[in-house]
Amino acid sequence: MLKIRSLDVAYGGLHALSGVSLDVERGQFVAVVGPNGAGKTTLFKTISGVVTPSAGEISYNGQNLLAVPPAERAQLGIAHVPEGRQVFASMTVMENLEMGAYTRNGQVRWKDTLPMILQLFPVLAERRDQLAGTLSGGEQQMVAIGRGLASAPELLMLDEPSMGLAPSIVDAIFERIQLVHKNGMTILLVEQRVAEALETCDHGYVLETGRVSMEGTHKTLMSDERVRKAYLGM
Amino acid sequence: MTAKRRGLLRQYAAIAIFAAVFLAVGFLVRNSYYQLIMVLVLIWATMGLGWNMLSGYSGMISFGHAAFFGLGAYTVTLAFVKFGITPWFGIPLGVVVGVMAGVLIGIPTFRLRGHYFALAMLAYPLAMLYVFEWLGYQEVSLPMMRENPAAYMQFTDQRVYMALALALMVVCMVISLHVERSRFGRSLLAIKQNLPAAEAAGINAARWRMYAMMLSAGMAAAAGDFYAVILLVVTPLTVFGALTSAQALIVALFGGVGVLWGPIIGAAILIPLAETLHAELGHILPGIQGVVYGLAIILIILVAPDGIYWKVRDKLGERRKTSAASTGVASFTPVTTTLAEAPSMVSCGRDSSPVSRAAFGAPLLELENVSRSFGGLKAVDDVTLSIPEGTIYGVIGPNGAGKTTLFNVVNGFLAANRGSIRFAGAEIGGLKPHQVCARGLGRTFQVVRSFPRMTVLENVVVGAFVGARTDDQAERLAIEALARVGMADAQARMLAGGLTTKQLRLMELARALAPRPKMLLLDETLAGLGQRELEDILPIIRQVNREGVTIVIIEHTMHAMVKLADHFSVLDHGRLIASGPPGEVVKNPAVIEAYLGKKWMSRAQNQVA
Amino acid sequence: MDALYWHLVDFLQAMAAGLLVGGIYGLMCVGLGIIFGVMRVVNFAHGDFMMLGMYAAFYLVTGFGTLAFLGPYAGPIVGALLAGPIVFVIGWLLHKFLIARVTGARVVSAEAEGHYAQIILTLGIALVLANGGLILFGSTPVSVQTPLSRESWEIGPVFLNQARAIGFVIAIVCAIGLYLFLTRTNLGKALRAAADNPIAAAYVGIDVDRAHRIAFGLGVGITAIAGGLIASSQSFQPYVGFDFVIVMYAGVVLGGMGSILGAFWGGLTIGLVQQMSTLILPYQLQNTAIFVVFLVIIFFRPQGMFGRVWERT
Repeated sequence: MLKIRSLDVAYGGLHALSGVSLDVERGQFVAVVGPNGAGKTTLFKTISGVVTPSAGEISYNGQNLLAVPPAERAQLGIAHVPEGRQVFASMTVMENLEMGAYTRNGQVRWKDTLPMILQLFPVLAERRDQLAGTLSGGEQQMVAIGRGLASAPELLMLDEPSMGLAPSIVDAIFERIQLVHKNGMTILLVEQRVAEALETCDHGYVLETGRVSMEGTHKTLMSDERVRKAYLGM
Repeated sequence: MTAKRRGLLRQYAAIAIFAAVFLAVGFLVRNSYYQLIMVLVLIWATMGLGWNMLSGYSGMISFGHAAFFGLGAYTVTLAFVKFGITPWFGIPLGVVVGVMAGVLIGIPTFRLRGHYFALAMLAYPLAMLYVFEWLGYQEVSLPMMRENPAAYMQFTDQRVYMALALALMVVCMVISLHVERSRFGRSLLAIKQNLPAAEAAGINAARWRMYAMMLSAGMAAAAGDFYAVILLVVTPLTVFGALTSAQALIVALFGGVGVLWGPIIGAAILIPLAETLHAELGHILPGIQGVVYGLAIILIILVAPDGIYWKVRDKLGERRKTSAASTGVASFTPVTTTLAEAPSMVSCGRDSSPVSRAAFGAPLLELENVSRSFGGLKAVDDVTLSIPEGTIYGVIGPNGAGKTTLFNVVNGFLAANRGSIRFAGAEIGGLKPHQVCARGLGRTFQVVRSFPRMTVLENVVVGAFVGARTDDQAERLAIEALARVGMADAQARMLAGGLTTKQLRLMELARALAPRPKMLLLDETLAGLGQRELEDILPIIRQVNREGVTIVIIEHTMHAMVKLADHFSVLDHGRLIASGPPGEVVKNPAVIEAYLGKKWMSRAQNQVA
Repeated sequence: MDALYWHLVDFLQAMAAGLLVGGIYGLMCVGLGIIFGVMRVVNFAHGDFMMLGMYAAFYLVTGFGTLAFLGPYAGPIVGALLAGPIVFVIGWLLHKFLIARVTGARVVSAEAEGHYAQIILTLGIALVLANGGLILFGSTPVSVQTPLSRESWEIGPVFLNQARAIGFVIAIVCAIGLYLFLTRTNLGKALRAAADNPIAAAYVGIDVDRAHRIAFGLGVGITAIAGGLIASSQSFQPYVGFDFVIVMYAGVVLGGMGSILGAFWGGLTIGLVQQMSTLILPYQLQNTAIFVVFLVIIFFRPQGMFGRVWERT
């Protein structure tokens, strides 16, 4: 579904990504983990078109994604839930979700997606007319994920949903993400919390200083000595 | 120190050469109209230097320097017309009036930030314009004095004016130079780049800004004084008009912002261009001058947003990557103490003896019933804490529990609504951030607040000012602090904007350490770091603590906290729900319920144990 | 008693005049407010776009007689309304070729320095428009004269200038229309989303640069309509923008920057202040009164500037 081949991204001479290749198959849950500054967010921004790569290919359902203007990429069924939530703070929860459904597909499927989102995050139904900026961090993360789902995407990209949240809330958020995945959504997750991410994914990539240093299934990575030592604190 | 002096001498030489060449050219020019243009260049360069002093160095953009210019011009004129006071006294008087106006305008207006400041500054000269019109000073001329004209600063030879205007401009340049090269200039630059960080690092922003405003207003008033003397007539529109304010900004911005040569370059190019076009085409194209200024500014913003000076320097490749960056920032004299000397200073410079981690001292920071609310929300609710000297004290709690607010209240960013805060036995509630910092209480920020366009060393030097009497001492303190966090090498010369998260955290730590504080408040210093980076930073924090600095740390990364802190306090909804040794607190059911989550214990088993 | 009665009449008359002119100021402020709200740019040239609107209305009605067939009553009104789309196009083009280069998605990360580039660029545009206007239109004051300008409706002892009264009604209709556009339509909501968080807006498929262009065109167009309405009751010259720019800032800041409704109320209040000040101050100090109010506002309610009540984490 998503194929990335030897992607290079450079900011002012500094290589943020070098030679990154990655595959996401339909229905998979893929996690990209690694320390801060490894280039995880840059990878997402490149997929969304905010950052232009210096070399490499990205294809999505066989189409060359790099030829598609950034604002059009959401229309192809890619939803990007950004790092740090980035809700529309001055708009209500409902308007946030409506904006998620700004895409053509989102508009068409709105009648089905909205109840699904509200069922997934019941608190959003309670808060539907509240300004998103007044919500707690965890609730804002739910709005951000809900907004991503509202576009009725084929691929949901989640950038560090745990960021700045208390552990108990992170647990709840990860439960929901797993639920979404069980209902058939393809998920690409970037996480610094390696344990949580690797516990839930099918396939994982470890990104270190812009390169993929390891990859494999959830089981291989979890049992890998280096991963256990460096990231799981075991 | 010699390098510093050499840099200063080089600038003096450059100014002297420039003045000599200008004067030589001026004496060769015979056409009195061109002479007048040359005088105007000097006047607008002076005005631009005035604008640059405030807006260029401190970043508070003023659209209203015409207020000072106009007050200066009218002071000279009215003193002359009404009281027969010669401009020789009128000019200094005008400067005094300008400086006083600067203070009166500065006191309320500095409370405003960014756009507000710019807009408020715009309103002052326009309001004055209407008032002066209403007072009936539509057009005031300076009378010609036939007897003893020199006593009234009236000369037939334009070149005398030129020499006087040049002298005035050179004085302003020398003042700018000394500001640029001193603690004053660096403090302004720090304020420009990041106000909260500067304040938390002990810089008294209000004072430095006010000094900059006074100098700036004085220079603008002097320019206005001279303008009136040269043109012999003032109208509210020419001295208070929006175009006058715009011209100050345009010459500085066009030439180069934040550097003393900028306004001179800008005035030297734009004034002759606009004046000549006005003289040649003014009768068919009446607004040509304004169009030229408008186009100049559009062009400069699009092509070289920091002005010609910086663009040329970039092209010449003179600006090393490590010194001030691509945007208009004054470059600083290089550090003369070599970094290799630093470690020795660490050992001799320490004034507090190591404290053993087992025996904690008397309470260093005591909070008693401290509360702070925003609207109806109680962000910090009746918190009482006592932090003994020598500890590493962890403050944990869910998002929005009030942890950062608590820090902001302690370090003076926010005032507490209730309660008392005592540090080292003295009440610090109500003090400003820079005063709190001066007492020996430093802090870092959740989102690193660096000065991105300064080098690492310069960033840390700014933090050291509060603990140093001289600039050299500040530099030594900074190097010592960098050595303590292990950055006293090539990294010290890197631009802060290009650092990794870990390096930024360390730099911020060094900045807070530079004035040798007794206590540090670390706000999520470990957030966003990978496991390996944690392993690098934790020993540094422990070492700093062993050297006698009491540490209070807010953190989310639980397993790091468990390893680091001696004592935990847990906040939830602004209230203290638990406090005690880490091992006990993490087993507290209320804490698990509010914060840790059910999975915590199972996952943490192999980490704590 | 008699003196008191006439004081009361003066008071009511000033209030009525303030309300009428305030409605038009409100519309002006709405135009500036939408630009600030969406783009976070303080448009220094806004008064000059209004000046363009005034001249557009002037030439449509008087200059070339384009609208002569509509007659002396409908002509000026249609002229003012048409000034909107004309200036919209000018704004759209200026945004596309100039302003977009220092705003929008690419410079979102540029922090404070970026804002200064924008405000200074618009200052440059203001200088070019005002002085270019002087070259194109000359410095002689002109106005769009209509029979309505001279006639009044009487309500008790209070006179309402007909041109201003009709302008007031049109201004309110325009402001309501814009409000409905922003809160009810998808494009309007997309503009607000782009205003609120450009990065997130891009991720949900909103073309942020296009949103900015629409907002800028819309903002200057709306203000041009207000200018066209004022043109029929007041004479003007190419520098008129500077006089109004503070009026607009004062209104927008008073209403809380970013809030469309707030900007309207802010403008209305400024109109009232300006007219009521004539009761106690000499006529020449009208604008000084506005400056004082403006300064008082920014000192005591600066947080209104961004119309935000929460803190971003």
